Amino acid sequence: MFLIKKIFLFFKRELNLFYNNIADLFSNILFFFLSIFIFVFALGAEEQLLRSIGLGIIWSLLLLSSTLSLRKFYEDDFNNGVIKIIHMSGISYELFVFLKILSHFFFVQIPFLISIPIACIFFNLPINEVYNLMITFIIGSLILSCLGSISASMNLLNKTNFSIGSIIVLLFSIPVIIFSVGINNSEDSFRSLINLLIGITLIFLGVSPWSSAAFIKLALRNK
Amino acid sequence: MLLINNLSFSRNDNIIFQNLNLSLSDRSITQIRGKNGSGKTTLLQVILNFLECKTGEIFWEGKNIKKNIFSFYNQTTFIMDHNTCTRKMTILDNINFWSGLSSSKLTKNEILLLLETFNIQKYQNTKTMYLSAGEIKKLELLRLVLEQKKLWILDEPYNHLDDLSIQILNQTFIDHINKDGIVLFTSHLNPSISNLEVVEL
Repeated sequence: MFLIKKIFLFFKRELNLFYNNIADLFSNILFFFLSIFIFVFALGAEEQLLRSIGLGIIWSLLLLSSTLSLRKFYEDDFNNGVIKIIHMSGISYELFVFLKILSHFFFVQIPFLISIPIACIFFNLPINEVYNLMITFIIGSLILSCLGSISASMNLLNKTNFSIGSIIVLLFSIPVIIFSVGINNSEDSFRSLINLLIGITLIFLGVSPWSSAAFIKLALRNK
Repeated sequence: MLLINNLSFSRNDNIIFQNLNLSLSDRSITQIRGKNGSGKTTLLQVILNFLECKTGEIFWEGKNIKKNIFSFYNQTTFIMDHNTCTRKMTILDNINFWSGLSSSKLTKNEILLLLETFNIQKYQNTKTMYLSAGEIKKLELLRLVLEQKKLWILDEPYNHLDDLSIQILNQTFIDHINKDGIVLFTSHLNPSISNLEVVEL
C-alpha cells in the first residue's frame, strides 16, 4: 500500500519537473521540425520523391531528436543525491529505473505524438501510413526510452564525452527502424511485424532495469 | 544499536581507514572529527552501504545490514553534505515529496510551524533555486523531524548555518537522544553538546 503511494508521489514529482522543464520539450520538437524543413529544402519540392522517402526521414529524425534529451535522464537525480533518498525509502534501484523509463515515455516521448501528424503533412503521406507511423512510434518510443536509460546510466560518471551514449542508442535502434518502416512496404505482414516490435519492447523492458540499476550502483560506488 | 566491527576501506590501494571499531548505543550522540580529506564522508557512505567495505561488518539491532538493508534504511535518516532538494520545485513540494516517501505522520500545520521555527515560512512557495545556501541547509535538516526515524546520520550539518540555527540544531539532537534516538555526525568543528562522544579519524 505504501509502495503504491510512493510510486504515485514519484510520478507527481516527475509531472512537476515536466512543467518546469517544458522548454526542453519545445526545443526538441523545434529541432525535429527544423530538420524536416532542411530535408525538404535540400531535396526540392518533388511530391513523388518526398512521399516515397518521407517515412524513413521522419523516423530517423524522431530518433535523433529523442537522443537530444537523454543527457538529463538520470544526471540531475544522481548529482543531487535524490537517487539515494529514493533508494533509502525502500524503492530498489531496479524499480526506480523502471519508473523513470515509464515517466520518460509519458512525459518526453508521448508529447512528440502531436508533432508527427503535422510532420506528415510536409511529406504528403497517405493517411494509412500516418496511422501506421503513430502505432509504431508508440511501441518504438518505449524501446527508445529503455535504450536511453541504459546509455544515460552508463554515462553517469562520464562528464566530457556524451556522444558515446548516443552511439549506443543509435546502434540498438536499427531493428526498430527496420521493422517499423517495413510495416508500410509489406501490407500483409502487418500483424507479424507489430508482434516483433512488441517482442523487442518486452525484451528491453525486462533487460534495461537490471542493467541500468547495475550501472547506477557502479556509478554510486565510484563517485 | 549500531555496531561497526573491524571496518576497512581503501580506494585504488590507498587506505582511507583501517580496523575501525565503533559502537553506538541508544541515547548516544557521536561525532566523527577529522581534517579535510580524512575520510569522514567516506565512512558514512560505507556505513550506509553506498560504498563497499573491504573488510569488516556492520550490525544494526543485532543483524548484519547487508542482509537486511531495507530494515536498516527504514530506521535511518541520512542528511548529505550537499543539497538534495530539487532546485526547480518549491519548498512545500519538496517537503510533501519527502514526507510521502517516508510516510510521515506530521500534519500540515506542524510542518508550517517547523518552517516558522527556522524562519523560512515566507518562502514556502518559492523555488529552492532562489534560496540562500543556509536556507537550503535548514530545509534539508527539516527531514530529520519529518521522517521520525531512530538513527540520524548527518554529514557536516553545521555548514552554512548561523548561530541561532546551530543552537536549535543542537537542541534538536538532545531532544532526539532523550527519546531513545541515536545521532552520528561528522564535523571539523567543536560543538557544545553535553555527553558528546568524539571519534578521531
